[in-house]
Amino acid sequence: MRMKKFINDPKRLVPELLEGFTLAFPEKVKLHGTNTIVRAAPKAPGKVRLVTLGGSGHEPGLSGFVGKGMLDASVAGEIFAAPGAVKCIEALRETCAGRESALLIVLNHAGDVLAGNIARQTVEREKLNVKMVLTEEDISGPVGDRRGLVGCVAVYKVAGAAAEKGASLDECFEIAQRMAGNMRTLAVAVRTATHPATGQPIFALGDDEMEIGMGQHGEAGTGRMLLKSADETAEIMLDKLLADLGVKEGEELLVLLNGAGATTLMELYVIFRRVAQLLAAKKIWLVRSAIGEFITTQEQAGFQMMIARMDKELIDLWDEPADTPFFAKV
Amino acid sequence: MSDVICITEVRRMFTQAARLMREQQQLLSQLDCIGGDGDHGTTMVRAMDALEAALGAETGAPLNARFKDAGWAVLGVDGGASSALLGTFIAGMGDADMGETTDCTRLATGFAAGLHAVQKQTKARPGDKTMMDALVPAVQAFAAAANSGETIAHAMEYASEAAHKGAEATRNLIAKYGRAKFLGEKTLGSPDAGATSIALMFLGFSVALMPEQEG
Repeated sequence: MRMKKFINDPKRLVPELLEGFTLAFPEKVKLHGTNTIVRAAPKAPGKVRLVTLGGSGHEPGLSGFVGKGMLDASVAGEIFAAPGAVKCIEALRETCAGRESALLIVLNHAGDVLAGNIARQTVEREKLNVKMVLTEEDISGPVGDRRGLVGCVAVYKVAGAAAEKGASLDECFEIAQRMAGNMRTLAVAVRTATHPATGQPIFALGDDEMEIGMGQHGEAGTGRMLLKSADETAEIMLDKLLADLGVKEGEELLVLLNGAGATTLMELYVIFRRVAQLLAAKKIWLVRSAIGEFITTQEQAGFQMMIARMDKELIDLWDEPADTPFFAKV
Repeated sequence: MSDVICITEVRRMFTQAARLMREQQQLLSQLDCIGGDGDHGTTMVRAMDALEAALGAETGAPLNARFKDAGWAVLGVDGGASSALLGTFIAGMGDADMGETTDCTRLATGFAAGLHAVQKQTKARPGDKTMMDALVPAVQAFAAAANSGETIAHAMEYASEAAHKGAEATRNLIAKYGRAKFLGEKTLGSPDAGATSIALMFLGFSVALMPEQEG
């Protein structure tokens, strides 16, 4: 089937998308160089900077979370491809122009990790103080090498709040690691998307099938099965997540549902309702939640379910104000 | 007889590599569809464009500085892991000591330094179905040929052959790195896109140095 997307020139897609994004939120973000989104007004001097990087085509992620209380900069790559290390180096230099320390938050994907590592090593030689946190919470992969999915948003939120309050780099790093280590995500897809640059479908899935364990770019997962109801799907996914994180009765959870791009908010609420029922039945406290589109995969249908074990400090940081184009708390 | 190359030959090497990469762009992207998102050909062509542009400048700098600059130009490309590793390899070559010309032994040292830089950034090793399956044997074959006193042109032929064999052998491997690893056995039967492009690059190097091309 022919690709039906509103695109001018695939080669100009990323710059045009970043231009539009910054024009839409001029009071919150601006473009630095060709590919880096920074805050319209930088954070107060001296406070720890939060920088992330990743491919484009996942809007509103990742640049949609640049702003007060969350990120200071987001380096955008090509469609589904990590940005070059040079742009990440320039973003760190710019963001830390006052010799501030920086926390680099990277989703565990080969290209992103390479760009992050090369950038960190390079600016460390310039005596910038940088620590890198890897988010790798996708339970469909083997422990030790799991993909980073929507969980990065929770890390941006709590580490961003800590940085805003003046926490040191070590403290921000510890908060980010604690959040990253206590979260788990699982994705499900029911329909593929077309790659906006190649015009090809990203994967093939039968009309009556769904696949659990899908990656952020539609990489095949491990659990292909006949399409299930919302309740059944919610239960299968939640059980896997709870088991992997080892959640016990009485513990407190954040649950985040992330629409893949074509799954309606209607469906997400139906799923969420079942998640809340199941948690209540298991005597697990659902203390915070977020439902919507955070990191998408074009018009793929499906969603990611993320759970995170919260402690008092993480909850407090989650509740701190944030004012970014796609995540706000008052 | 002094068997050395200077920036002129280096440019020719990368021009030929870029030509092959452009010719095979579709194939590389198709191979990448099996495990990745089908953009490997596009990425490698962008990386080659960056290399050609960087090496094309008239600077009079020693070759190691040229490799360093060219590598960093590739690190400026938004191409995920492929361009990051290729850029690291070329920039890493600049860690070796070279003047405005290099002989076979020094070029071998340069390739080894490039490989060393890549190995610092990735845990992937031959057998994991990545570009390392072509890069490692190519660098080793070049070093072995240099040690036994071969000319640069001959050493590059050996390197190209070794890279080609390594890339072909990835057909029988299951991907362990990058996005393709999630597909496991589904990756059997097709060569790895990254290894194939490294083999193409060394083939380009070799073609550029063939005696009839000289003068």
